[in-house]
Amino acid sequence: MENNTNIYNTELIPTWCPGCGNFAIHASLKSALSELKIDPSSTYISFDIGCNGNGAGSINAFGFKGLHGRSIPLAIGAHLANRKFTVIADIGDGGCFHEGLDHIVHAIRSNYDITILIHNNMNFALTTGQATATTQQKKAMYGLPDGKPERDLDIINFLLSLSPTFYARGYSGDLKTLVVLMKEGIKHKGCSVIEIIQLCPTYNKELTPMWFAEYSADVATIKEYDNSDIKKVKNFFNNDAKDIIYTGLLSKQDGIPTFYDRLPSREGIKTDLVEEVKQYNVKNLLKDFE
Amino acid sequence: MSLQRISLKFVGPSGQGINTVGKIFSKTLKSSGFHIFATREYPSLIKGGVASYQIDFAYSPINSSSKLVDLVCSLDKDSLLNNIDSTKENSIVILNSENTEEDHFSEYSKKKNLTLLTLNAQKIASENGGIEIMGNTVLLGLLARILSLKSNVVYEQLLENFKSKKIDTEAEKKCLEAGYNSPLFRPEYTNLLKVEKGLNILNKSPKFLTTGNDALALGAIGCGVRAFYGYPMTPATSIFKYLGETSKETGILVKQAENEITAVQMTMGSMAMGARSFTATSGGGFDLMVETISCSGISENPLVIVLAQRAGAGTGLPTWSGAGDLTSAVKAGHGEFPRAVLAVSDINSCYTLIQKAFNIAEKYQIPVVLLTEKVIAESLFSTDSLPKNIALERGLTQGTSRYGITDNGVSNRWLPESNKKTFLMNSDEHMESGWSTENAEEATRMVSKRMNKIMALKKEIPEPQYFGNINAKTIVIGWGSTKNTMIDLLKYNKEIGYLHYEYMFPLKTDFLKNLLRKNDKEVVLVENNFEGQLGKLITEETGINFSKKLLKYDGRTLTVDDITEFLNN
Repeated sequence: MENNTNIYNTELIPTWCPGCGNFAIHASLKSALSELKIDPSSTYISFDIGCNGNGAGSINAFGFKGLHGRSIPLAIGAHLANRKFTVIADIGDGGCFHEGLDHIVHAIRSNYDITILIHNNMNFALTTGQATATTQQKKAMYGLPDGKPERDLDIINFLLSLSPTFYARGYSGDLKTLVVLMKEGIKHKGCSVIEIIQLCPTYNKELTPMWFAEYSADVATIKEYDNSDIKKVKNFFNNDAKDIIYTGLLSKQDGIPTFYDRLPSREGIKTDLVEEVKQYNVKNLLKDFE
Repeated sequence: MSLQRISLKFVGPSGQGINTVGKIFSKTLKSSGFHIFATREYPSLIKGGVASYQIDFAYSPINSSSKLVDLVCSLDKDSLLNNIDSTKENSIVILNSENTEEDHFSEYSKKKNLTLLTLNAQKIASENGGIEIMGNTVLLGLLARILSLKSNVVYEQLLENFKSKKIDTEAEKKCLEAGYNSPLFRPEYTNLLKVEKGLNILNKSPKFLTTGNDALALGAIGCGVRAFYGYPMTPATSIFKYLGETSKETGILVKQAENEITAVQMTMGSMAMGARSFTATSGGGFDLMVETISCSGISENPLVIVLAQRAGAGTGLPTWSGAGDLTSAVKAGHGEFPRAVLAVSDINSCYTLIQKAFNIAEKYQIPVVLLTEKVIAESLFSTDSLPKNIALERGLTQGTSRYGITDNGVSNRWLPESNKKTFLMNSDEHMESGWSTENAEEATRMVSKRMNKIMALKKEIPEPQYFGNINAKTIVIGWGSTKNTMIDLLKYNKEIGYLHYEYMFPLKTDFLKNLLRKNDKEVVLVENNFEGQLGKLITEETGINFSKKLLKYDGRTLTVDDITEFLNN
């Protein structure tokens, strides 16, 4: 297969606003898949509802645009049925940290071999700019002229508390790094969470490329930062981290079995579930009822 | 009908082994040549409260519980007091009590002419080298003697039941014999129950004892289900248990999800990829799955959900039976989309209809809800065989547009596979390609296409089943477990007929309308809910109204006596 991102393109033009970070996220995903030589017909993407989901159809792959907050369990079901596929769950910060918060917790804990792309634009954009847990506290939002009253969610410490086997943070303004992180995430055997700080020129005007350049740092630039040591990583973000946006590969733990690999019922079975759908003679099982 | 069947009830505090003695005795009866129907009633707590295990047995197949029992075996006084009203006249009551002299039941005993046998089973167990719980074994011994069963058959079943546990087999045997040879036994007790000696016709035993949920799980395994996603909720949970316990043999992937929404979404994902999978829950969990049902409808992704009904709204009567979720199954979900709703009644239909559910779901690419009830899910039925597997119909074809418009509304469906044409499934309104659209004409075309599938499906599904006298003037109409009671009733009442629905939606009504063409029939609706939910669906479809309705919604199932009494009034 050629290294050609065109094969992931479709004729459908996305409806995002000019300058939306989603263009870069999609381009990065196409590059990552292409560089890894993963065919569109071996890729399964579940899309959430929100601006991220409005990109469904504009990337050539098998896919499902389902319900708000549910792209993660949908992707898990698809992955468990056929592990030959590269399965990606695409979701926004609203879907991930509000409507379907339970799923990210249990997906990380279970370590399913999928990649979760969180498009974090810090608001519910498609419904025209309501506050999410990641919107800055006190910022005036739709229906909240006096500002968002609740505290923000500390995503890094929250996700790290779950001991993710792969947790990276990218930025929609830095395609090069994003492609690298996505490739690493897709290759990682286990649940890969890639949170992408996404520019939203319509509802999050404060977050500009210039602001981001000034207030962000890649963990790779920090001396003695060891992303393979989860204890140290947790300790860093609990105690030493500065009030800036950290990006890069925050945590990567290898050798932790995936959910599927822990199932005694699937031990030694070479086929995938989809290949096994046929009549089964229950005669042997019936003996227990005699 | 008096003693063509005998009804025996174990009662006692929950968690004291009621379920175990019930199971052992059910198997003993089966091995002794009887057909049985055994049902559990228990409170929603782990220890304490009053639980019961009722076994009805006869020489011919039996499908429901009697309202009143011939024989009670109570583990303590309070449980007996709680159940004393469920005894027939002349019945025998065995009571385990430390104080064998005390008599709190003389009033009842006299009124109903009960024979009360009080024994201190724990003491007898300890005298025979057993521990406290073996008091239950003593009681089993005495019961076996009264019913002229062989004590070694009980012993075999006891060993079988505890084969994975370390038990003192010698003590168990001694306790069993002590009960069997109890001085309380009188030959006239056997006569009182009119059980003749020599009933043990071993070669006529039914072959299997299984619960509805086990039969349903077996049916699922039989039709190629490869994954089950669940979240605990009575009375669906034992499907999960059985599939989990057999997963090493079957290779089925069993996942306890973080909640019902996850379970149904994972099911959707696996079905979208092409692996047969399902989830099972009860009313509350089903409500959480409803948005996904609607999503399955518009995205045309096959989905199978087992809805195991219990009684009541909210948390209701969590461990009791009912059939009040039909309306919910038929109507649940926003927007308009096609679906199918099927309802089981016994182990045969549990086995077959889960397989049908998958065929319909895949062939028509729709959500299918399979209804069961606590009394079917958890009761033990006896049978000589389970039905044969039905052929898999997956409706898989090759094509180029996943949502192509067709006459019957069913589009090409192929599974994601390397080098196959990719497609997007979509819960947004979409074009034939799967891409989202908000175009009015396209929306009209797509909604119509999907709704057309209901007509196509309706052509395929069968009319309701008719049992009993075809010329009957009185016709009972029902669904679910009502059938089991009616089948038992029809053995004694040759004057009436019973029309049974197992395909609840779409609803077939031609047979019913033909039956009622001549205006000389009386129709009686019998349902285990308040509203007469099947009746409402029939009225909606045909305009036929039901003036005579037997509706029971107290968490208890309908008995032959309930229906007979109603019909006689």
